[in-house]
Amino acid sequence: MESDVKRVIVSCGTAIATATYVASKIKEIAEENGIKVEVTQCKAAEINYYISMLGKVDLIVTTTPVNVQGIPVVNGVPFLSGVGVEQVKKQIVDILKKS
Amino acid sequence: MGWIETLSAVVQGFLNLGASVAIPIILFFIALGFRVKPGRAARSAITIAVGFVGINLLIGYFMDAISPVAKMLVERTGIQLVAIDVGWPSAAAIAFGSPLGTLIIPVTVAVNLILLAARVTRTLDVDVWNYWHFAFVASLTYIATGDFWLGLLAGIAMFVVILPIADWSAPKIQEMLQTPAISLPHGFSAPYFALAYPVMKLFQKIPSLWNIRADPETIRKRFGLIGETPVLGAIIGFALSVAAGADYVTVAKTTVGMAAVMVILPRMVRILMEGLVPLADAIRETFVKKYAGKRELYIGLDSAIAIGHPVAIAASLILIPIFIAESLIPGNKILLLADLPVIPFMVCMTVPLFNYDTVKVIINMAIWNIVGLLLGSTIVDIYTATAKSVGFPLPKGALYISSICDGTNPLTWFLIQLGRIGWRPLAYGALIAVIIVSIIIGYIAERRREERAAKAAATSG
Repeated sequence: MESDVKRVIVSCGTAIATATYVASKIKEIAEENGIKVEVTQCKAAEINYYISMLGKVDLIVTTTPVNVQGIPVVNGVPFLSGVGVEQVKKQIVDILKKS
Repeated sequence: MGWIETLSAVVQGFLNLGASVAIPIILFFIALGFRVKPGRAARSAITIAVGFVGINLLIGYFMDAISPVAKMLVERTGIQLVAIDVGWPSAAAIAFGSPLGTLIIPVTVAVNLILLAARVTRTLDVDVWNYWHFAFVASLTYIATGDFWLGLLAGIAMFVVILPIADWSAPKIQEMLQTPAISLPHGFSAPYFALAYPVMKLFQKIPSLWNIRADPETIRKRFGLIGETPVLGAIIGFALSVAAGADYVTVAKTTVGMAAVMVILPRMVRILMEGLVPLADAIRETFVKKYAGKRELYIGLDSAIAIGHPVAIAASLILIPIFIAESLIPGNKILLLADLPVIPFMVCMTVPLFNYDTVKVIINMAIWNIVGLLLGSTIVDIYTATAKSVGFPLPKGALYISSICDGTNPLTWFLIQLGRIGWRPLAYGALIAVIIVSIIIGYIAERRREERAAKAAATSG
């Protein structure tokens, strides 16, 4: 059971404003595609701390630039601007289904 | 005029219910107006109510913990820091906590659509959450004057001034974030872009200053710890209570309490924001349906997407101690606490103006912070009165409240001053004049952008 839950980190400048919106969208997408996710919000500056704390992270979606290696990073700005949302959705579903 | 009186009676009845009950009900109907399904609108209204309760609980705790210490500090040292900085989450709750504040949401959408159609702006502000900055001006002006329409006008003026600044700064912001077709019509960040512009022109005249380059990475590594909210909260709580001469139990409690407030308060806002998601979705759809693909637009987003920039982070870390030192100048009344983590929002849009140099970003904001503190100190009474009117749990006693965001925002201050002009027709006239001037500036700038685009298209064949 535990192992099919995908861990997603959503990061932005504050972990409040834009991350909350993007996190709600990720949960919707996951539900639509029958994927179980656990979404954590964090500040971009604290992302490495969260990765080491959570252990296994399947995907990072960020609205502000982050420097991370070894985990797929997706730009979350399209969710905010409404431009190119479908592409990002597809990208996220692909990554979560593969991992 | 009968219906206006009925309306005010209904509004007053709502107000007596308290913000955590009244506002979700109003937002429920606004959401229905934007065609959110009733079930979803109801769920979001309840979530918003929960967020309000959370913020109120925490402010109650915060004021109980900090007020006695702050009073001791004033009595012991004689420095007149009588307005406690309760942070932007409280400011946002106060702003949306008055019925006028929530009305600003549909009004802002309408004004934006009109100005887009009139080609005064190309920014389409889908960042519904940050409409609270406009609501904040509106609510404070309303409480200061008792005039509902004057408050509404001040809120509109704020938005109409922000739009041309967002259009103007957009090319630099797009370059900074490497994202095309966006702008940041943010009520707190954008004014500092306009204010930094003359400072930038001045700095360019001093080559030895203009050519400085500091490495943001080194600063972040050395000072990074104070950028972590719980650590900063603990340091501030400790320093404050020691300076106030508190006993060791109080020092320990204040240290932990301040860290707790600074971490938990923004999380309460997160609940409030989750409740706003369906409305934000609906408004985004309304906009996109109307304008998708029809002409070149900038999508107006939250400046939170810019504050992760290394220069913004580095400059903000250094500015924390500078801000605290500056708060000791005579004339300042604001005791900086909960909003110290908000400095990145002040500096983020100035970063590209100063050529991505940390030192110049710091100097500019060190100057404007002094101005902001002195201006903000003159409206702490209105700030506090507005908070009380929406049912904020403030302790009885002499202390005031304020916040850096938007309590020391020069544009917010300016518009409230216009609204407060004693002779009512002049107050109306002044705010209308601001709106008209801003529209003219926006219109001229937009014509220039269109001409430039036409020329570029012509030369590229």
